[in-house]
Amino acid sequence: MPNVPAIEFRQVEKIYPGSSAAAVTDLSLEVAEGETVALIGPSGCGKTTLLKMVNRLIEPTAGMIRVFGNDVRSSNPVELRRGIGYVIQQVGLLPHRTVAQNIGTVPELLGWDDRRVWARVDELFDLIQLDPELRDRYPSDLSGGQRQRVGVARALAADPPIMLMDEPFGAVDPIVRKALQQQFLEVQKRLGKTTVLVTHDIDEAITLADRVAILNLGGILEQFDPPMAILRDPANAFVMSFLGHDRGLKRLSLLPISSVKLVKGPAVSRSASIEEAREMMERWGVDWIALADGDVLHGWVPGEELDGASDLASLALRRFESWLTSDASLLDALDVVVSSRTSAAAVFDGDRYLGMLSAETIGREIVT
Amino acid sequence: MIADGVIDLGWVFDHLGDMWEASVEHAVLTGIAVSCGLVLSVLLSLIALRWRRTYTPITWVTGILYTIPSLALFTFLVPVFGLSLLTAEIALVSYTLLILIRNIVSGIDGVPDDVLEASSGMGMTARQQLLRVQVPLALPAIIAGIRIAAVTTIGLVTVTVLIGQGGYGVFILRGIRRQFLTEALVGTLLSVALAVVVDLLLVGVGRLAMPWARRAGT
Ligand SMILES: Nc1ncnc2c1ncn2[C@@H]1O[C@H](COP(=O)(O)OP(=O)(O)OP(=O)(O)O)[C@@H](O)[C@H]1O
Ligand SMILES: [Mg+2]
Repeated sequence: MPNVPAIEFRQVEKIYPGSSAAAVTDLSLEVAEGETVALIGPSGCGKTTLLKMVNRLIEPTAGMIRVFGNDVRSSNPVELRRGIGYVIQQVGLLPHRTVAQNIGTVPELLGWDDRRVWARVDELFDLIQLDPELRDRYPSDLSGGQRQRVGVARALAADPPIMLMDEPFGAVDPIVRKALQQQFLEVQKRLGKTTVLVTHDIDEAITLADRVAILNLGGILEQFDPPMAILRDPANAFVMSFLGHDRGLKRLSLLPISSVKLVKGPAVSRSASIEEAREMMERWGVDWIALADGDVLHGWVPGEELDGASDLASLALRRFESWLTSDASLLDALDVVVSSRTSAAAVFDGDRYLGMLSAETIGREIVT
Repeated sequence: MIADGVIDLGWVFDHLGDMWEASVEHAVLTGIAVSCGLVLSVLLSLIALRWRRTYTPITWVTGILYTIPSLALFTFLVPVFGLSLLTAEIALVSYTLLILIRNIVSGIDGVPDDVLEASSGMGMTARQQLLRVQVPLALPAIIAGIRIAAVTTIGLVTVTVLIGQGGYGVFILRGIRRQFLTEALVGTLLSVALAVVVDLLLVGVGRLAMPWARRAGT
Protein backbone atom coordinates (compact mmCIF):
# COMPACT_ATOMS: atom_id res chain seq x y z
CA MET A 1 0.00 0.00 0.00
CA PRO A 2 1.87 3.04 -1.20
CA ASN A 3 -0.38 5.59 0.42
CA VAL A 4 -0.19 4.46 4.02
CA PRO A 5 1.33 7.31 6.03
CA ALA A 6 4.55 6.49 7.85
CA ILE A 7 3.12 7.94 11.04
CA GLU A 8 -0.48 8.75 11.77
CA PHE A 9 -1.90 10.44 14.86
CA ARG A 10 -5.61 10.04 15.02
CA GLN A 11 -7.58 12.13 17.54
CA VAL A 12 -4.83 11.69 20.07
CA GLU A 13 -5.24 13.02 23.56
CA LYS A 14 -2.87 12.92 26.49
CA ILE A 15 -3.68 13.90 30.03
CA TYR A 16 -0.88 13.10 32.46
CA PRO A 17 -2.02 11.39 35.65
CA GLY A 18 -2.68 13.93 38.37
CA SER A 19 -2.88 16.77 35.90
CA SER A 20 -6.12 18.54 35.09
CA ALA A 21 -5.00 20.10 31.81
CA ALA A 22 -4.42 18.09 28.67
CA ALA A 23 -0.87 18.00 27.30
CA VAL A 24 -2.20 17.01 23.87
CA THR A 25 -5.75 17.71 22.74
CA ASP A 26 -7.61 15.87 19.99
CA LEU A 27 -4.69 15.93 17.60
CA SER A 28 -4.75 14.35 14.16
CA LEU A 29 -1.80 14.50 11.85
CA GLU A 30 -0.16 12.34 9.21
CA VAL A 31 3.47 12.15 8.23
CA ALA A 32 4.09 10.74 4.76
CA GLU A 33 6.92 8.34 4.07
CA GLY A 34 10.16 10.20 3.45
CA GLU A 35 8.77 13.46 4.73
CA THR A 36 10.36 15.73 7.33
CA VAL A 37 7.82 17.27 9.66
CA ALA A 38 8.77 19.89 12.23
CA LEU A 39 6.78 20.21 15.45
CA ILE A 40 7.03 23.68 16.82
CA GLY A 41 5.35 25.66 19.55
CA PRO A 42 5.92 27.32 22.90
CA SER A 43 7.58 25.42 25.75
CA GLY A 44 5.21 22.92 27.31
CA CYS A 45 2.90 22.66 24.30
CA GLY A 46 3.34 18.89 24.14
CA LYS A 47 6.00 18.43 21.46
CA THR A 48 8.06 15.94 23.43
CA THR A 49 4.90 14.20 24.57
CA LEU A 50 3.79 13.73 20.96
CA LEU A 51 7.14 12.32 19.94
CA LYS A 52 7.30 9.88 22.82
CA MET A 53 3.86 8.54 22.04
CA VAL A 54 5.16 7.31 18.69
CA ASN A 55 7.71 4.97 20.28
CA ARG A 56 5.51 4.26 23.29
CA LEU A 57 7.67 5.90 25.91
CA ILE A 58 4.33 7.53 26.72
CA GLU A 59 0.89 6.05 26.12
CA PRO A 60 -1.93 8.30 24.89
CA THR A 61 -5.03 8.72 27.03
CA ALA A 62 -7.26 8.49 23.95
CA GLY A 63 -6.92 8.13 20.21
CA MET A 64 -4.66 6.01 18.09
CA ILE A 65 -1.17 6.20 16.68
CA ARG A 66 -0.17 4.12 13.70
CA VAL A 67 3.25 3.50 12.26
CA PHE A 68 3.15 2.28 8.66
CA GLY A 69 -0.48 1.45 9.22
CA ASN A 70 -0.02 -0.61 12.39
CA ASP A 71 -1.48 0.52 15.67
CA VAL A 72 1.56 0.97 17.93
CA ARG A 73 -0.33 -0.66 20.79
CA SER A 74 -0.18 -3.93 18.90
CA SER A 75 3.60 -3.93 18.75
CA ASN A 76 6.07 -4.84 21.45
CA PRO A 77 7.48 -1.53 22.73
CA VAL A 78 11.07 -2.84 22.74
CA GLU A 79 10.87 -4.05 19.14
CA LEU A 80 9.09 -0.87 18.08
CA ARG A 81 11.78 1.34 19.61
CA ARG A 82 14.63 -0.55 18.01
CA GLY A 83 13.04 0.20 14.66
CA ILE A 84 12.70 3.94 15.27
CA GLY A 85 15.66 6.29 15.59
CA TYR A 86 15.24 8.52 18.64
CA VAL A 87 17.29 11.58 19.47
CA ILE A 88 16.31 12.83 22.90
CA GLN A 89 16.19 16.46 23.93
CA GLN A 90 19.18 16.20 26.30
CA VAL A 91 21.22 13.96 23.95
CA GLY A 92 21.58 11.28 26.65
CA LEU A 93 24.80 9.62 25.51
CA LEU A 94 25.90 6.75 27.74
CA PRO A 95 28.77 8.27 29.78
CA HIS A 96 30.50 4.93 30.36
CA ARG A 97 30.63 3.92 26.72
CA THR A 98 32.97 5.26 24.08
CA VAL A 99 31.67 7.27 21.17
CA ALA A 100 31.88 4.22 18.90
CA GLN A 101 30.12 2.03 21.46
CA ASN A 102 27.41 4.64 21.89
CA ILE A 103 26.79 4.74 18.16
CA GLY A 104 26.74 0.95 18.00
CA THR A 105 24.19 0.56 20.79
CA VAL A 106 21.10 -0.37 18.79
CA PRO A 107 22.90 -2.67 16.29
CA GLU A 108 24.37 -4.43 19.31
CA LEU A 109 20.94 -4.78 20.90
CA LEU A 110 19.73 -6.21 17.61
CA GLY A 111 22.42 -8.85 17.88
CA TRP A 112 24.59 -7.85 14.91
CA ASP A 113 28.02 -9.43 15.03
CA ASP A 114 30.91 -7.21 16.10
CA ARG A 115 32.40 -6.83 12.67
CA ARG A 116 29.14 -5.59 11.20
CA VAL A 117 28.61 -3.19 14.11
CA TRP A 118 32.07 -1.65 13.68
CA ALA A 119 31.70 -1.38 9.93
CA ARG A 120 28.42 0.43 10.45
CA VAL A 121 29.99 2.74 13.04
CA ASP A 122 32.70 3.62 10.50
CA GLU A 123 30.05 4.41 7.93
CA LEU A 124 28.29 6.74 10.34
CA PHE A 125 31.51 8.51 11.29
CA ASP A 126 31.86 9.17 7.62
CA LEU A 127 28.26 10.18 7.09
CA ILE A 128 28.19 12.76 9.86
CA GLN A 129 31.81 13.75 9.33
CA LEU A 130 33.01 12.98 12.83
CA ASP A 131 36.73 12.93 13.44
CA PRO A 132 37.70 9.21 13.57
CA GLU A 133 40.02 10.07 16.46
CA LEU A 134 36.94 10.46 18.62
CA ARG A 135 36.01 6.79 18.28
CA ASP A 136 37.49 5.71 21.57
CA ARG A 137 36.82 8.86 23.55
CA TYR A 138 34.10 9.13 26.16
CA PRO A 139 31.17 11.53 25.76
CA SER A 140 32.55 13.81 28.48
CA ASP A 141 35.48 14.61 26.14
CA LEU A 142 33.25 15.94 23.39
CA SER A 143 32.07 19.44 22.59
CA GLY A 144 28.35 20.18 22.59
CA GLY A 145 28.16 20.04 18.80
CA GLN A 146 30.02 16.76 18.64
CA ARG A 147 27.71 15.24 21.23
CA GLN A 148 24.66 16.23 19.28
CA ARG A 149 26.10 14.68 16.14
CA VAL A 150 26.91 11.47 17.98
CA GLY A 151 23.33 11.49 19.25
CA VAL A 152 22.05 11.70 15.70
CA ALA A 153 24.50 9.05 14.44
CA ARG A 154 23.43 6.73 17.23
CA ALA A 155 19.78 7.14 16.23
CA LEU A 156 20.65 6.39 12.60
CA ALA A 157 22.79 3.36 13.42
CA ALA A 158 20.37 0.56 12.67
CA ASP A 159 19.09 2.40 9.59
CA PRO A 160 15.55 2.85 10.93
CA PRO A 161 12.94 4.08 8.45
CA ILE A 162 11.68 6.63 10.97
CA MET A 163 13.60 9.22 12.98
CA LEU A 164 12.21 11.10 15.96
CA MET A 165 14.41 14.04 16.86
CA ASP A 166 13.71 16.16 19.93
CA GLU A 167 15.52 19.47 19.48
CA PRO A 168 18.53 17.71 17.98
CA PHE A 169 20.42 20.96 17.53
CA GLY A 170 19.17 22.66 20.67
CA ALA A 171 22.12 23.06 23.00
CA VAL A 172 24.71 24.56 20.68
CA ASP A 173 25.71 28.05 19.60
CA PRO A 174 24.14 29.55 16.45
CA ILE A 175 27.13 28.90 14.18
CA VAL A 176 27.42 25.22 15.07
CA ARG A 177 23.68 25.01 14.83
CA LYS A 178 23.70 26.32 11.27
CA ALA A 179 26.38 23.82 10.33
CA LEU A 180 24.41 20.96 11.89
CA GLN A 181 21.26 22.04 10.07
CA GLN A 182 23.12 22.14 6.78
CA GLN A 183 24.46 18.70 7.45
CA PHE A 184 21.00 17.45 8.32
CA LEU A 185 19.73 18.61 4.94
CA GLU A 186 22.57 16.89 3.11
CA VAL A 187 22.18 13.65 5.02
CA GLN A 188 18.44 13.79 4.59
CA LYS A 189 18.82 14.24 0.85
CA ARG A 190 20.81 11.02 0.77
CA LEU A 191 18.77 8.94 3.19
CA GLY A 192 15.24 10.30 2.86
CA LYS A 193 14.15 9.14 6.32
CA THR A 194 10.69 9.89 7.56
CA THR A 195 11.56 12.42 10.24
CA VAL A 196 9.65 14.16 12.98
CA LEU A 197 11.75 16.94 14.35
CA VAL A 198 10.93 19.05 17.39
CA THR A 199 12.24 22.57 17.53
CA HIS A 200 11.29 25.87 19.02
CA ASP A 201 13.15 27.80 16.38
CA ILE A 202 10.82 28.78 13.56
CA ASP A 203 13.73 29.42 11.20
CA GLU A 204 14.99 25.92 11.81
CA ALA A 205 11.54 24.52 11.11
CA ILE A 206 11.28 26.51 7.88
CA THR A 207 14.73 25.48 6.71
CA LEU A 208 14.55 21.80 7.52
CA ALA A 209 10.97 20.65 7.19
CA ASP A 210 8.70 19.74 4.31
CA ARG A 211 5.76 20.53 6.53
CA VAL A 212 5.52 22.38 9.82
CA ALA A 213 3.02 21.62 12.58
CA ILE A 214 2.46 24.64 14.80
CA LEU A 215 1.19 23.70 18.24
CA ASN A 216 -0.37 25.78 20.94
CA LEU A 217 -0.38 25.13 24.70
CA GLY A 218 -2.49 22.12 25.51
CA GLY A 219 -1.16 20.38 22.43
CA ILE A 220 -3.61 22.02 20.07
CA LEU A 221 -2.62 21.84 16.42
CA GLU A 222 -3.03 25.35 15.01
CA GLN A 223 -1.70 24.79 11.51
CA PHE A 224 -0.03 22.00 9.58
CA ASP A 225 1.28 23.05 6.19
CA PRO A 226 4.43 23.45 4.12
CA PRO A 227 6.57 26.37 5.34
CA MET A 228 5.71 28.47 2.30
CA ALA A 229 1.97 28.09 2.86
CA ILE A 230 2.30 28.90 6.55
CA LEU A 231 4.24 32.06 5.79
CA ARG A 232 1.85 33.09 3.06
CA ASP A 233 -1.40 32.21 4.82
CA PRO A 234 -1.03 31.98 8.58
CA ALA A 235 -4.16 30.22 9.83
CA ASN A 236 -4.80 32.57 12.73
CA ALA A 237 -3.46 35.23 15.05
CA PHE A 238 -1.49 32.69 17.11
CA VAL A 239 0.38 31.40 14.07
CA MET A 240 0.91 34.96 12.89
CA SER A 241 2.43 36.04 16.18
CA PHE A 242 4.49 32.89 16.30
CA LEU A 243 5.98 33.61 12.91
CA GLY A 244 7.06 37.07 14.02
CA HIS A 245 6.99 40.32 12.11
CA ASP A 246 9.69 39.32 9.64
CA ARG A 247 7.40 36.76 8.08
CA GLY A 248 7.91 38.38 4.67
CA LEU A 249 11.66 38.10 4.91
CA LYS A 250 11.42 34.51 6.08
CA ARG A 251 9.41 33.80 2.96
CA LEU A 252 12.19 35.25 0.86
CA SER A 253 14.61 32.79 2.37
CA LEU A 254 12.55 29.96 0.91
CA LEU A 255 12.25 31.40 -2.60
CA PRO A 256 15.12 30.74 -5.00
CA ILE A 257 16.03 33.44 -7.49
CA SER A 258 14.90 31.12 -10.23
CA SER A 259 11.33 31.53 -8.98
CA VAL A 260 11.10 35.18 -10.07
CA LYS A 261 11.33 36.77 -13.52
CA LEU A 262 14.61 38.44 -14.11
CA VAL A 263 14.78 41.69 -16.05
CA LYS A 264 17.03 42.48 -18.94
CA GLY A 265 17.97 45.55 -16.95
CA PRO A 266 19.65 48.72 -18.11
CA ALA A 267 21.78 46.80 -20.58
CA VAL A 268 22.72 47.24 -24.20
CA SER A 269 24.84 45.35 -26.65
CA ARG A 270 28.52 46.21 -26.79
CA SER A 271 28.01 47.25 -30.40
CA ALA A 272 25.21 49.75 -29.49
CA SER A 273 25.77 53.46 -29.89
CA ILE A 274 26.33 55.96 -27.08
CA GLU A 275 22.90 57.40 -27.84
CA GLU A 276 21.20 54.05 -27.37
CA ALA A 277 22.99 53.63 -24.05
CA ARG A 278 21.84 57.03 -22.78
CA GLU A 279 18.30 56.25 -23.82
CA MET A 280 18.38 52.96 -21.91
CA MET A 281 19.71 54.68 -18.78
CA GLU A 282 16.98 57.21 -18.95
CA ARG A 283 14.32 54.55 -19.43
CA TRP A 284 15.51 52.76 -16.27
CA GLY A 285 16.25 55.93 -14.37
CA VAL A 286 19.78 54.86 -13.42
CA ASP A 287 23.21 56.41 -13.82
CA TRP A 288 24.97 53.30 -15.09
CA ILE A 289 24.68 50.96 -18.04
CA ALA A 290 25.51 47.29 -18.42
CA LEU A 291 26.91 45.83 -21.61
CA ALA A 292 25.62 42.38 -22.45
CA ASP A 293 25.25 40.18 -25.49
CA GLY A 294 23.07 37.11 -25.16
CA ASP A 295 24.22 35.17 -22.10
CA VAL A 296 27.54 36.99 -21.82
CA LEU A 297 27.79 39.96 -19.47
CA HIS A 298 30.74 42.16 -20.37
CA GLY A 299 30.53 44.58 -17.44
CA TRP A 300 29.18 47.99 -16.65
CA VAL A 301 30.17 51.65 -16.89
CA PRO A 302 29.06 54.69 -14.87
CA GLY A 303 26.90 57.15 -16.83
CA GLU A 304 29.34 60.08 -16.59
CA GLU A 305 31.99 58.18 -18.51
CA LEU A 306 29.76 58.18 -21.57
CA ASP A 307 30.36 61.93 -21.90
CA GLY A 308 32.83 62.56 -24.68
CA ALA A 309 33.28 58.89 -25.51
CA SER A 310 33.10 57.94 -29.15
CA ASP A 311 31.76 54.42 -28.80
CA LEU A 312 31.02 51.91 -26.05
CA ALA A 313 33.71 49.49 -27.08
CA SER A 314 36.43 52.04 -26.21
CA LEU A 315 35.31 52.36 -22.55
CA ALA A 316 36.97 50.55 -19.66
CA LEU A 317 34.36 48.15 -18.27
CA ARG A 318 33.88 47.47 -14.59
CA ARG A 319 33.16 44.00 -13.35
CA PHE A 320 29.88 43.39 -11.57
CA GLU A 321 30.75 43.07 -7.90
CA SER A 322 27.13 42.26 -7.13
CA TRP A 323 26.32 38.97 -8.67
CA LEU A 324 24.40 35.88 -7.63
CA THR A 325 23.80 32.39 -8.81
CA SER A 326 20.27 31.38 -9.66
CA ASP A 327 19.99 28.88 -6.81
CA ALA A 328 20.57 31.52 -4.11
CA SER A 329 17.51 32.57 -2.12
CA LEU A 330 15.81 35.90 -2.58
CA LEU A 331 16.88 36.76 0.96
CA ASP A 332 20.54 36.35 -0.02
CA ALA A 333 19.76 38.38 -3.14
CA LEU A 334 18.17 41.16 -1.13
CA ASP A 335 21.30 41.44 0.95
CA VAL A 336 23.48 41.74 -2.16
CA VAL A 337 21.16 44.11 -3.95
CA VAL A 338 20.64 46.63 -1.15
CA SER A 339 24.36 46.86 -0.52
CA SER A 340 25.28 47.27 -4.20
CA ARG A 341 25.95 50.54 -5.91
CA THR A 342 23.78 49.52 -8.87
CA SER A 343 20.69 48.47 -6.83
CA ALA A 344 20.61 45.40 -9.00
CA ALA A 345 22.58 42.21 -9.09
CA ALA A 346 23.62 40.19 -12.11
CA VAL A 347 22.39 36.60 -11.93
CA PHE A 348 24.38 33.74 -13.39
CA ASP A 349 23.81 30.08 -13.89
CA GLY A 350 27.39 28.91 -13.86
CA ASP A 351 29.03 31.16 -16.48
CA ARG A 352 25.80 31.95 -18.20
CA TYR A 353 24.38 35.42 -17.59
CA LEU A 354 20.63 35.17 -16.99
CA GLY A 355 19.58 38.72 -16.28
CA MET A 356 19.32 41.35 -13.58
CA LEU A 357 17.57 41.08 -10.25
CA SER A 358 16.43 44.45 -9.01
CA ALA A 359 15.31 45.59 -5.57
CA GLU A 360 11.82 46.20 -6.98
CA THR A 361 11.47 42.62 -8.11
CA ILE A 362 12.37 41.35 -4.65
CA GLY A 363 10.10 43.94 -3.05
CA ARG A 364 7.13 42.61 -4.99
CA GLU A 365 7.73 39.16 -3.47
CA ILE A 366 7.66 40.55 0.06
CA VAL A 367 4.29 42.20 -0.45
CA THR A 368 2.47 39.30 -2.10
CA MET B 1 63.76 5.61 70.53
CA ILE B 2 60.58 4.24 72.05
CA ALA B 3 61.00 1.05 70.11
CA ASP B 4 64.02 0.10 72.17
CA GLY B 5 62.05 -0.08 75.37
CA VAL B 6 58.56 -0.87 74.09
CA ILE B 7 58.87 -3.11 71.05
CA ASP B 8 60.60 -6.39 71.32
CA LEU B 9 62.04 -6.74 67.84
CA GLY B 10 63.32 -10.18 68.58
CA TRP B 11 59.76 -11.39 69.19
CA VAL B 12 58.65 -9.76 65.98
CA PHE B 13 61.26 -11.58 63.89
CA ASP B 14 60.54 -14.88 65.63
CA HIS B 15 56.85 -14.64 64.74
CA LEU B 16 56.89 -13.59 61.09
CA GLY B 17 55.37 -16.94 60.12
CA ASP B 18 52.51 -16.51 62.61
CA MET B 19 51.89 -13.03 61.31
CA TRP B 20 51.56 -14.30 57.74
CA GLU B 21 49.17 -17.01 58.88
CA ALA B 22 47.11 -14.47 60.85
CA SER B 23 47.06 -12.17 57.82
CA VAL B 24 45.62 -14.93 55.64
CA GLU B 25 43.00 -15.78 58.27
CA HIS B 26 42.10 -12.14 58.70
CA ALA B 27 41.80 -11.59 54.95
CA VAL B 28 39.68 -14.71 54.50
CA LEU B 29 37.30 -13.75 57.31
CA THR B 30 36.98 -10.29 55.77
CA GLY B 31 36.61 -11.61 52.23
CA ILE B 32 33.82 -14.00 53.17
CA ALA B 33 31.98 -11.30 55.09
CA VAL B 34 32.22 -8.67 52.36
CA SER B 35 31.33 -11.07 49.53
CA CYS B 36 28.35 -12.52 51.37
CA GLY B 37 27.36 -9.01 52.43
CA LEU B 38 27.56 -7.86 48.82
CA VAL B 39 25.45 -10.72 47.49
CA LEU B 40 22.82 -10.17 50.16
CA SER B 41 22.89 -6.40 49.63
CA VAL B 42 22.47 -6.76 45.89
CA LEU B 43 19.42 -8.95 46.46
CA LEU B 44 17.94 -6.59 49.02
CA SER B 45 18.72 -3.59 46.81
CA LEU B 46 16.97 -5.20 43.85
CA ILE B 47 13.93 -5.72 46.05
CA ALA B 48 14.12 -2.12 47.27
CA LEU B 49 14.46 -0.81 43.70
CA ARG B 50 11.67 -2.97 42.37
CA TRP B 51 9.27 -2.31 45.22
CA ARG B 52 10.07 1.14 46.49
CA ARG B 53 8.04 0.77 49.66
CA THR B 54 10.38 -1.90 50.96
CA TYR B 55 13.35 0.48 50.97
CA THR B 56 12.49 2.22 54.23
CA PRO B 57 11.96 -1.01 56.23
CA ILE B 58 15.11 -2.51 54.72
CA THR B 59 17.28 0.44 55.77
CA TRP B 60 15.54 0.45 59.10
CA VAL B 61 16.36 -3.17 59.92
CA THR B 62 19.91 -3.04 58.56
CA GLY B 63 20.36 0.26 60.40
CA ILE B 64 19.47 -1.41 63.70
CA LEU B 65 21.85 -4.28 62.95
CA TYR B 66 24.55 -1.73 62.25
CA THR B 67 24.13 -0.07 65.63
CA ILE B 68 24.17 -3.21 67.80
CA PRO B 69 27.55 -3.42 69.53
CA SER B 70 29.51 -6.39 68.22
CA LEU B 71 30.02 -7.91 71.65
CA ALA B 72 26.30 -7.87 72.27
CA LEU B 73 25.62 -9.44 68.91
CA PHE B 74 28.01 -12.30 69.65
CA THR B 75 26.28 -12.82 72.97
CA PHE B 76 22.96 -13.30 71.17
CA LEU B 77 24.39 -15.52 68.45
CA VAL B 78 26.69 -17.83 70.37
CA PRO B 79 23.92 -19.73 72.21
CA VAL B 80 22.39 -20.56 68.83
CA PHE B 81 25.37 -21.10 66.54
CA GLY B 82 28.16 -21.74 69.03
CA LEU B 83 31.68 -20.43 68.94
CA SER B 84 31.84 -20.90 65.20
CA LEU B 85 32.86 -19.31 61.94
CA LEU B 86 29.16 -19.03 61.17
CA THR B 87 28.55 -16.88 64.24
CA ALA B 88 31.43 -14.62 63.32
CA GLU B 89 30.32 -14.24 59.72
CA ILE B 90 26.69 -13.59 60.56
CA ALA B 91 27.79 -10.73 62.74
CA LEU B 92 30.32 -9.40 60.23
CA VAL B 93 27.91 -9.63 57.29
CA SER B 94 25.18 -7.84 59.17
CA TYR B 95 27.46 -4.85 59.66
CA THR B 96 28.12 -4.49 55.91
CA LEU B 97 24.50 -4.46 54.78
CA LEU B 98 23.48 -0.90 55.59
CA ILE B 99 26.49 0.67 53.91
CA LEU B 100 26.32 -1.51 50.82
CA ILE B 101 22.57 -1.25 50.28
CA ARG B 102 22.58 2.51 50.72
CA ASN B 103 25.39 2.92 48.21
CA ILE B 104 23.91 0.53 45.66
CA VAL B 105 20.46 2.11 45.79
CA SER B 106 21.67 5.70 45.75
CA GLY B 107 24.14 4.87 42.99
CA ILE B 108 21.41 3.46 40.81
CA ASP B 109 19.05 6.30 41.70
CA GLY B 110 21.75 8.72 40.68
CA VAL B 111 21.83 7.57 37.06
CA PRO B 112 20.73 10.64 35.07
CA ASP B 113 17.20 10.61 33.66
CA ASP B 114 18.32 11.53 30.15
CA VAL B 115 20.56 8.47 30.01
CA LEU B 116 17.70 6.25 31.14
CA GLU B 117 15.31 7.80 28.68
CA ALA B 118 17.76 7.42 25.83
CA SER B 119 18.45 3.80 26.68
CA SER B 120 14.82 2.81 26.89
CA GLY B 121 14.12 4.90 23.79
CA MET B 122 16.69 2.82 21.92
CA GLY B 123 14.86 -0.34 22.88
CA MET B 124 16.69 -1.73 25.89
CA THR B 125 14.62 -4.04 28.06
CA ALA B 126 14.46 -3.21 31.77
CA ARG B 127 17.02 -5.94 32.41
CA GLN B 128 19.42 -4.69 29.75
CA GLN B 129 19.03 -1.22 31.12
CA LEU B 130 19.92 -2.40 34.60
CA LEU B 131 22.94 -4.45 33.55
CA ARG B 132 24.30 -2.28 30.76
CA VAL B 133 23.52 1.18 32.04
CA GLN B 134 22.44 1.46 35.66
CA VAL B 135 24.91 -0.91 37.29
CA PRO B 136 27.96 0.38 35.40
CA LEU B 137 27.01 3.96 36.14
CA ALA B 138 26.38 3.12 39.80
CA LEU B 139 29.81 1.48 40.10
CA PRO B 140 31.56 4.50 41.61
CA ALA B 141 29.03 4.55 44.45
CA ILE B 142 29.03 0.77 44.78
CA ILE B 143 32.81 0.58 44.95
CA ALA B 144 32.86 3.40 47.47
CA GLY B 145 30.45 1.32 49.58
CA ILE B 146 32.59 -1.80 49.25
CA ARG B 147 35.64 0.17 50.38
CA ILE B 148 33.93 1.38 53.54
CA ALA B 149 32.47 -2.06 54.22
CA ALA B 150 35.84 -3.77 53.73
CA VAL B 151 37.75 -1.36 55.96
CA THR B 152 35.10 -1.53 58.68
CA THR B 153 35.04 -5.31 58.52
CA ILE B 154 38.83 -5.58 58.82
CA GLY B 155 38.59 -3.67 62.08
CA LEU B 156 35.72 -5.80 63.33
CA VAL B 157 37.39 -9.10 62.52
CA THR B 158 39.88 -8.46 65.35
CA VAL B 159 36.98 -8.89 67.77
CA THR B 160 36.02 -12.33 66.44
CA VAL B 161 38.92 -13.80 68.39
CA LEU B 162 36.48 -13.73 71.31
CA ILE B 163 34.45 -16.45 69.63
CA GLY B 164 37.42 -18.51 68.72
CA GLN B 165 38.37 -17.16 65.30
CA GLY B 166 41.86 -16.39 64.05
CA GLY B 167 43.34 -13.26 62.53
CA TYR B 168 45.13 -10.34 64.14
CA GLY B 169 42.75 -10.40 67.09
CA VAL B 170 44.74 -13.36 68.41
CA PHE B 171 47.84 -11.16 68.85
CA ILE B 172 45.90 -8.32 70.33
CA LEU B 173 44.00 -10.43 72.83
CA ARG B 174 47.06 -12.41 73.87
CA GLY B 175 49.16 -9.26 74.14
CA ILE B 176 46.60 -7.72 76.45
CA ARG B 177 46.20 -10.84 78.58
CA ARG B 178 49.96 -11.20 79.01
CA GLN B 179 50.49 -7.47 79.25
CA PHE B 180 52.94 -7.87 76.38
CA LEU B 181 52.70 -4.62 74.48
CA THR B 182 54.70 -5.70 71.44
CA GLU B 183 52.24 -8.41 70.53
CA ALA B 184 49.16 -6.19 70.97
CA LEU B 185 50.76 -3.43 68.98
CA VAL B 186 51.76 -5.73 66.13
CA GLY B 187 48.18 -7.01 65.87
CA THR B 188 46.83 -3.48 65.76
CA LEU B 189 49.34 -2.18 63.22
CA LEU B 190 48.85 -5.17 60.94
CA SER B 191 45.10 -4.64 61.00
CA VAL B 192 45.52 -0.99 60.05
CA ALA B 193 48.01 -1.93 57.31
CA LEU B 194 45.67 -4.54 55.85
CA ALA B 195 42.86 -1.99 55.78
CA VAL B 196 45.03 0.47 53.89
CA VAL B 197 46.21 -2.15 51.40
CA VAL B 198 42.70 -3.44 50.71
CA ASP B 199 41.39 0.08 50.31
CA LEU B 200 44.08 0.93 47.77
CA LEU B 201 43.45 -2.32 45.90
CA LEU B 202 39.78 -1.47 45.63
CA VAL B 203 40.61 1.99 44.34
CA GLY B 204 42.74 0.30 41.67
CA VAL B 205 39.99 -2.13 40.75
CA GLY B 206 37.63 0.82 40.45
CA ARG B 207 39.97 2.62 38.08
CA LEU B 208 40.26 -0.44 35.88
CA ALA B 209 36.53 -1.05 35.86
CA MET B 210 35.63 2.57 35.15
CA PRO B 211 37.97 4.03 32.57
CA TRP B 212 35.39 6.67 31.72
CA ALA B 213 35.51 8.08 35.25
CA ARG B 214 39.30 8.17 35.49
CA ARG B 215 39.65 11.87 34.97
CA ALA B 216 36.86 12.59 37.43
CA GLY B 217 39.28 11.44 40.13
CA THR B 218 37.59 8.64 42.04
N1 LIG C 1 5.77 13.04 33.09
C1 LIG C 1 4.92 14.08 33.17
N2 LIG C 1 4.01 14.17 34.15
C2 LIG C 1 3.16 15.21 34.24
N3 LIG C 1 3.12 16.22 33.37
C3 LIG C 1 4.00 16.20 32.34
C4 LIG C 1 4.93 15.14 32.20
N4 LIG C 1 5.69 15.39 31.10
C5 LIG C 1 5.22 16.54 30.59
N5 LIG C 1 4.22 17.03 31.33
C6 LIG C 1 3.46 18.27 31.06
O1 LIG C 1 2.87 18.14 29.79
C7 LIG C 1 2.99 19.36 29.06
C8 LIG C 1 3.72 19.10 27.76
O2 LIG C 1 5.05 18.73 28.04
P1 LIG C 1 6.12 18.43 26.92
O3 LIG C 1 7.34 18.01 27.60
O4 LIG C 1 5.53 17.51 25.92
O5 LIG C 1 6.31 19.88 26.29
P2 LIG C 1 7.33 20.39 25.18
O6 LIG C 1 6.51 21.01 24.13
O7 LIG C 1 8.23 19.29 24.79
O8 LIG C 1 8.13 21.52 25.98
P3 LIG C 1 9.64 21.99 25.81
O9 LIG C 1 9.68 22.86 24.60
O10 LIG C 1 9.88 22.77 27.08
O11 LIG C 1 10.49 20.77 25.72
C9 LIG C 1 3.69 20.34 29.97
O12 LIG C 1 2.71 21.12 30.60
C10 LIG C 1 4.37 19.47 30.99
O13 LIG C 1 4.48 20.12 32.22
MG1 LIG D 1 10.29 18.98 25.00
